[in-house]
Amino acid sequence: MNLVPHSRREPAANPASGQEAGGDSTGLAEALNRMWERFLPEIRERAALLEAAANAQAIGRFSAEMRQQANAAAHKLAGTLGTFNLAHGTELAREFESLTAPANPASIDSKLAVRLRSLSAEIHTIIESRS
Amino acid sequence: MVLEVFLVARKVLIIDDEDDIREVAALSLESVAGWEVVTANSGSQGLARAAEHQPDAILLDVMMPGMDGPTTFRELRKNPATSKIPVLLLTAKVQSSDQRRFADLGVEAVLFKPFDPMTLSTQIASVLGWS
Repeated sequence: MNLVPHSRREPAANPASGQEAGGDSTGLAEALNRMWERFLPEIRERAALLEAAANAQAIGRFSAEMRQQANAAAHKLAGTLGTFNLAHGTELAREFESLTAPANPASIDSKLAVRLRSLSAEIHTIIESRS
Repeated sequence: MVLEVFLVARKVLIIDDEDDIREVAALSLESVAGWEVVTANSGSQGLARAAEHQPDAILLDVMMPGMDGPTTFRELRKNPATSKIPVLLLTAKVQSSDQRRFADLGVEAVLFKPFDPMTLSTQIASVLGWS
């Protein structure tokens, strides 16, 4: 079985045209931008869930249900943001997902809320900076 | 020659519950490689579409509500009509324990989210020997 990690450092070729990907990337980039605009409300909803979870953690009201929802939202953002060329957003969302995993001992760390708030704020900024 | 990869008509089924990921992947395979794409938003819908459309390959998300990716894969293998179709898992899970679990399933490869829309088709073609 092959494991094929994604690397943005790979040269992007467009064999269909026999040119470098950059030669045909404008059309794809424009289509991706249109998709980003279309899916932005959903992406913002996911980011808002992270923010709500971070705030709930800060006041000791981080329920198991909210943790599960925030963890799922972070997982989806991790997959989505990098696909729209927001690789750092993916890294931050992955950290948020890891910190809110049910089995993570960090969940009882008093510093967790601070980090979750920082992550959610950064993710929010990254999303809005592309918008 | 790499060019030949995209001169051959291919049909790929994408099974993913996330609209944004599904649509970006479809856009990528259609616009970059010129492949025909069929989509499904759930494991059960994917089983039906695989049997109906007989794709050359299936791109299968791991985490889906209801029937998840591994379960969908096992069902595809049970059905003689779909048992020979190559399956590539698509996941945002990057932990090595998850990767080992996926490797044990017997899929052709595991691709990771986020993917680069410009190179997704090249990755698939490379894994499946379409070059």
